[in-house]
Amino acid sequence: MQKLKAKLGYAGAGMTVLLAVLAPFVLYGVFTKGFSSVGLHVDEMYSGGPKVRTIQAAGYTIDIHRQVSPHLLQNEKAFVQLDWRPASALPSQVNDDVDIDGDGKPDVHVSFAVPKDPKAPLRVNVDPLNPRYEAMRNVGKQKFSELIVRVDDAVLVRVPVAQ
Amino acid sequence: MAAKVLLTREPRSIGRSLLLTLPIAIWAALMFTPAFGHANRAQRIASVITAIFMVILFFMMMRTWSTYRWRRWFFVALGLLFPVGFIHQVIAMRGTMGIPIEEMIAGRTPFCFLPIPLLILPAALFKTVVFPGSILAGGGMSGAGMAAMAGIWLAVAIVVGKGWCSYACFFGGIEEGMASLPAKAKVKKIDPRWRYGPWAVLLAMVLLSLALFEPAYCMWLCPFKAVSEYVAARNTVGMVQNGIFIALFAGLVVALPLVTKKRTQCAFFCPFGAFQSLFNKASVFDVKIDKARCTPCVLCQKSCPTLSLSEASIAKGETLMSCMKCGACVDACPKDAVVWHIRGTEVAAKPERARLLFLYAAWGMAIMFAGGIIAEGLATILHLFA
Repeated sequence: MQKLKAKLGYAGAGMTVLLAVLAPFVLYGVFTKGFSSVGLHVDEMYSGGPKVRTIQAAGYTIDIHRQVSPHLLQNEKAFVQLDWRPASALPSQVNDDVDIDGDGKPDVHVSFAVPKDPKAPLRVNVDPLNPRYEAMRNVGKQKFSELIVRVDDAVLVRVPVAQ
Repeated sequence: MAAKVLLTREPRSIGRSLLLTLPIAIWAALMFTPAFGHANRAQRIASVITAIFMVILFFMMMRTWSTYRWRRWFFVALGLLFPVGFIHQVIAMRGTMGIPIEEMIAGRTPFCFLPIPLLILPAALFKTVVFPGSILAGGGMSGAGMAAMAGIWLAVAIVVGKGWCSYACFFGGIEEGMASLPAKAKVKKIDPRWRYGPWAVLLAMVLLSLALFEPAYCMWLCPFKAVSEYVAARNTVGMVQNGIFIALFAGLVVALPLVTKKRTQCAFFCPFGAFQSLFNKASVFDVKIDKARCTPCVLCQKSCPTLSLSEASIAKGETLMSCMKCGACVDACPKDAVVWHIRGTEVAAKPERARLLFLYAAWGMAIMFAGGIIAEGLATILHLFA
């Protein structure tokens, strides 16, 4: 029995060395594919949720994302993300009424200045035309659930949803 | 301490040592071949130096029979050069070490292995990764994404168990370097209950990450944010977070290792280390104590950087679950009673065979994963001075 256990131990050690040799060529790739194929997604508080609709404006588009709600004790509000893109095609001052829920009536009026310097800080005002959404006054990027930021060639505004 | 003991043993012959080093030399050449052909001269030179460095250290392990003191050179180099390469890359990309909210939303937050245990519950229950990175390639600064980091971690964890903390962790070398600076420890008696610290932090962080839906350790407690990338201080909370990172780094990674000569962050705080201990149960390699030879002088216990030996465990002939297979206790034992071991075999039957097999696996992993990080840091320095 002791001999068998020892043989199994050495076989395991040999296998481990073999796994180490295979790791960069096979093992690592298998695990990576495994992790990426289990259907995980990044928390929507970060990613903003999937896009559900696109509104065509003059020379640019506004993408509307699905509402994102906070989990458990997450210290954020529910929000809807709106993407203005391409940022390079936006006028120096954006003033748009946006129909978020697609019922044909505008839900919020969004206004923000677009500085030429892409690194310049952005500030946004949101006036709710529908009580479902909250107002934002001169908001920058304090919280994930109410902000305006430039990400690549888009300006993202997250409008908080009234509780 | 280890060096004194080793002098009593005849070194292995140069020819035999070279022969035993040959597989590692071939492996290093294979792993660094793409980097040898890199267009950037600094990268090429750094890769050659790193490959030679890793091979020489392995040769010295073979020649002197000692593991810990040579491994420490590699590990400290890794700990010091990782921040050099990483910070340079971050500054070059964004001009700051603080990660802006835009980068989080874009899923470009670099992902390290430390939050892996915190992400498991939200992933299992909600299929959600509570980290502002990208799962697939294109996210993170390496462009590899979180799945790649998780893949490489699992591959290494299966092969060396908690050996990850001695052969792959790119943070532990900083405190190991600090712990090696003083000749003697100023604080010698440490309450053994501190050993439960990492488990307590792990439990708290896992539950908090699930409740707050954020990588709580990264947001609040990671000491290594001080030398990698921190949350850009957008508000008072951000300022507090960064204050905590710096205080923990100064205390656990600099001050306490200097006075205790222990890896205090790893031993008393690191939740990833606690989680990684579980993989020791799956690994075939461990460290045992030959009770027939043990006096016991407890030199092994004193030399352990993570308090992974207790008098009770020595009496039982084994290390604690938190052993990270650094080899300090093996090198410290004047009676050769502390030995590398393969599960299932008799203790001290063929300890050098066990050490060789373990080191081939662990050093191979170290070259594959950590070698590139060392080369990157070295290339940054060469680039700055060129």
